[in-house]
Amino acid sequence: MPPAAVRILYHTIVAGLVVAALFLSARLYLGGEPLVGAGVLLVAGLAAVTYLRAKAYTWRYLFPGLLGFAVFVLFPLGYTVYVSFTNYSSANLLRFPQVVRYFETETYLAGDTRYSFALHRVGGEPATYVIALSPPGDESIRYATTPVALDPPPAEPVPVAADNPVPDSPPLALREVIPLRGLLQALSLELPDETLLTNTGLREFGPRLPLWRHNPEDDSFTNVQNGARIVPDHSIGRFVHATDSEIAAAGTPYGPGFRTFIGISNYTRVFTDKGIQGPFIRIFIWTIVFALGSVALSLAVGMTLAVLLEWKQLHGRKLYRTLLVLPYAVPAFISILIFKGLFNQNFGEINLLLNALFGIRPEWFADPLLAKVMILIVNTWLGFPYMMIVCTGILQSVPDTIYEASAIDGSNALHDFFKLTLPLIWQPLFPLLVASFAFNFNNFLLIYLLTGGGPDMVGAATVAGQTDILVSYTFRIAFRDTAQNFGYASAIATIIFVIVALLAWWNLKHQKT
Amino acid sequence: MGSVSIQSLDKIYPAAGKNPAFHAVKGIDLEIQDGEFMVLVGPSGCGKSTTLRMIAGLEDISGGTISIDRSTVNDLLPKDRGIAMVFQNYALYPHMNLFENMAFGLKLARTPKEEVMRRVTDAARILGLEQILDRKPAALSGGQRQRVAVGRAIVRDPKVFLFDEPLSNLDAKMRVSMRSEISKLHSRLKTTMIYVTHDQVEAMTMGDRICVMKDGRIMQVADPLTLYHQPENLFVASFIGSPPMNLLRGRVERREGRLVFVEAAESDAVFVPLAGALAQRAEKNLGHEVVLGLRPEAIYDEARGADTTPLRARVELSELMGSETNVYLKTGAGTVIARLHTERRFAVGEELVVYLALAKAHLFDAKTERVIR
Amino acid sequence: MKASTIRRLKLTLAHVFLVGFLVLTLTPFLMIIAISFRRGDLAIGALVPVGDNFSLEHWKYVLGIPYEAPGADGQPRIIRATTPVLLWFWNSLKVATVASACIILLSGTAAYAFARMRFALRGLLLKSLLVLQVFPMVLALVALYALLQLIGDFLPPFGLNTHPGLILTYLGGIAIYIWMIKGYFDTIPVSIEESAKIDGATHFQAFVRILLPMSAPIFAVVFILSFISHISEYPIASVVLQTERQWTLAVGAQSFLYEQNYLWGKFAATAVLSGLPITALFLACQRFLISGLTSGGVKE
Repeated sequence: MPPAAVRILYHTIVAGLVVAALFLSARLYLGGEPLVGAGVLLVAGLAAVTYLRAKAYTWRYLFPGLLGFAVFVLFPLGYTVYVSFTNYSSANLLRFPQVVRYFETETYLAGDTRYSFALHRVGGEPATYVIALSPPGDESIRYATTPVALDPPPAEPVPVAADNPVPDSPPLALREVIPLRGLLQALSLELPDETLLTNTGLREFGPRLPLWRHNPEDDSFTNVQNGARIVPDHSIGRFVHATDSEIAAAGTPYGPGFRTFIGISNYTRVFTDKGIQGPFIRIFIWTIVFALGSVALSLAVGMTLAVLLEWKQLHGRKLYRTLLVLPYAVPAFISILIFKGLFNQNFGEINLLLNALFGIRPEWFADPLLAKVMILIVNTWLGFPYMMIVCTGILQSVPDTIYEASAIDGSNALHDFFKLTLPLIWQPLFPLLVASFAFNFNNFLLIYLLTGGGPDMVGAATVAGQTDILVSYTFRIAFRDTAQNFGYASAIATIIFVIVALLAWWNLKHQKT
Repeated sequence: MGSVSIQSLDKIYPAAGKNPAFHAVKGIDLEIQDGEFMVLVGPSGCGKSTTLRMIAGLEDISGGTISIDRSTVNDLLPKDRGIAMVFQNYALYPHMNLFENMAFGLKLARTPKEEVMRRVTDAARILGLEQILDRKPAALSGGQRQRVAVGRAIVRDPKVFLFDEPLSNLDAKMRVSMRSEISKLHSRLKTTMIYVTHDQVEAMTMGDRICVMKDGRIMQVADPLTLYHQPENLFVASFIGSPPMNLLRGRVERREGRLVFVEAAESDAVFVPLAGALAQRAEKNLGHEVVLGLRPEAIYDEARGADTTPLRARVELSELMGSETNVYLKTGAGTVIARLHTERRFAVGEELVVYLALAKAHLFDAKTERVIR
Repeated sequence: MKASTIRRLKLTLAHVFLVGFLVLTLTPFLMIIAISFRRGDLAIGALVPVGDNFSLEHWKYVLGIPYEAPGADGQPRIIRATTPVLLWFWNSLKVATVASACIILLSGTAAYAFARMRFALRGLLLKSLLVLQVFPMVLALVALYALLQLIGDFLPPFGLNTHPGLILTYLGGIAIYIWMIKGYFDTIPVSIEESAKIDGATHFQAFVRILLPMSAPIFAVVFILSFISHISEYPIASVVLQTERQWTLAVGAQSFLYEQNYLWGKFAATAVLSGLPITALFLACQRFLISGLTSGGVKE
């Protein structure tokens, strides 16, 4: 292709992408996400500059990678830190405007005017119906809906009008209406004067009026039925009663919670709330023990094997190495689940064997200590091949003649290992051990798939297990607990991030010297 | 004390994977006297290093025996053999400083602290390392590392020192000075030393006796002068000396009643009349394939009495070395190198007559490659 | 005792130790293979599937072949699998392959800039990438969930419960790979590209035509490492993929081991079926991988 054609093609592609981004940005803006729209616009602008200006050449290579990193690592990281300062949870799920809208749309059944109704089946699949209404005491005036499907019930109010035709077929008998009652109750009708009607009985619809009057100056609401006033309390993310009344004392929360900033209280909870502090500290200690223990055990096994397999006179070293690496080659989720099944208290093959041999059936998943032992066994099994591979690589960089010299100096295998090998390989090995520690510190997959964190701790305020490590604990608080607490989970996530980031940074410095 | 006796020593590496079995050392016998400086020399793969490593105990012995100080050491661990070894790549312990490097073996042997101190500092004084004992090997030059490796050997106070090509990682200048240092060390310690090298100059300058090896066999064991002047076979003749001995292939014939050497060539064969002791030796091989060997310095650019035989040649290349010139001469079938002591320059293509000192010539049997005496 | 006798004794001991250790290590695999051929889902009776105990029912189930088994009333009935194991396997392959290919593209270009170009913030950027990457994505799931929900509102094919959406979330994890590839680029002399430029190649051509082909081994390593780590990825996939037919194997396999519905035999067959090809891939590329691993990458 001639260079000019390449240039034209290149510019066309860049222009096409920019136009697509502009389009997306416009859609986002119209769809109620102006901030995100602006973000897309900014990215599109940066991309255009990067790929069209000759001076920004370097960034052309970096742009896609950094963009992916920013959107899927930096943003989630920032968002997590942001959430950690809020009360975002299943109890405070909605944003403030959504809660305001919730109160605005809440209605009550007003007065005692009742419209009688008749239900006509029109047919079709799914079946559609026409609902015909008559005002109280006047059977001659009839409002009717257009044919409407009741299953699922329409979300918006269905308008009724005087001039809509009513089918000639007879209305449904009472016994035919009864099965549809639940669907009818989910429905609301709208009269031409915008009065909303809801089903109040097997024969009647009644008018509904907004329950709350919005006072925009302070975002408070007044109950039109009983005059109670509720005001938003942004420090706890709830609406509360403004004054003492017969209905509730002042300060009593009312309605759904909304998300709000609560400062550092998610963090202080970790250290002050007794129901959290105790489990948190125990989980933290176990996390450290687990990570250190896993590294130490798999290093001990892996190093032993690596040193043994460096022995040149040993036959079949290649075969041994290949077979020993198998636990690492099999995907971890499969191995972990295999162990979960093998260790099963009642159906597991391990207990079957132990029972046959020694007549014991250890409760691997119910006893906290045994569960921890099992986790360490499984993780050593999973981790030793990696250590073996790494150690073999480093060992091979130590020249053989050193061992020959030491043999002449009168050294034996143990001396060789502790006086020569270990000091020599420690420096290249150490950063890998720190990385391995950091990996196990966050070894979610193992804990979550093997024990799920269980057995549970007694007396913890949130869900907390004896074998939970910080990361699985956090995951369960956010996603698997009955009362999902994203804010608190994010606070712990932030703490974990600070710990491992410091470790990584320290490791990086260590590596350079 | 430190005598070493090697009897029918064999080394066979068994077949491993694609590599067939390899017979590295083929039943050699060698007696090394106490206090002797013995050099094992030969091209790579000749088995010299393997032999040394068997003496050290770093390789298994496939057959035969090795005795040090009249007791068999075949089954002893290296540390129990009374040897010390200096490796080609020094094999210093990188994480220990010089003192620790030299003291390692003594500490393993639970030597008392003062004794360790005394022996290490003594060795360091001999080698001029006293000022840098707290340094690590990485901070040293090649020559200094070499000295530390030697020091580590000295502190063991061995019966036998083993050197495995210790100078081959040094630059040319350093090699020369370390060579003389090791020689001085030998005359000072008067301990048996076995020294492996592929460099025949090192062998000639350092060894009391030299053992030339090839393909797992000993070709000749002798002091440097004997080796140079009375090579036992073609290999030793060509390996020792630089530039190498001129070797002309041909046969002994009788022409017009006189014995002559006729080079095997299509045309322009060199034709050398034989006389004196050489003729006597040649007579026994009349009509046989032989090799006539003549060192480059036994070729002159002028006649020296009746003992020299003239030869017409053309200059192919000349290398001016300073006090002498190596001249590559085209004669007969091949090229002959002459080391001429002269101030003059030689032009390429120049025709010239050189004179061969045939009294200094050697005759070898072309089939057995052994010298004819 | 002679030194050689002692050594022979030591060698024998080493072999005994290694063989014993191997038996212990590999028993779980042998067991899972045996269990996949054993009748029923409970470890009752013998461990070894022979005679009456032998059955292909789990394999038929996993492969979607109907088979006959006694129902609750003791009458034999035809059972057809309701869990789409092969579909999960296909989903896993698809997600891991596409994600790895995209990761190569993103990390390869970025690594080139880091290895060959000098620009402001280079060192800082490189280090920040590595430090920030340690943040476990499990913990950012709230954010990723919200992000995919938002994307899904405007670009439905990339939203929640879609494979492209899941792949997108994997594209952030490129820092380790950037480092690995950069490390490899650093070992290739710049003069080779410079000579290409003297021959008339542009920057981009020198990159694509000279450096990329020379770096094929490291790209193979990165691809396989990324493939293996993404085929095993569980937490993000379990939250993003909500319907059974969208699940990957890592999410689906776990569903066999609920206490209420314990399908041990079916799980075993699934494990063998899916574990074998991945293990084979790993072993086939072992030599490549080990060089990559020892250069600092950690399997996740």
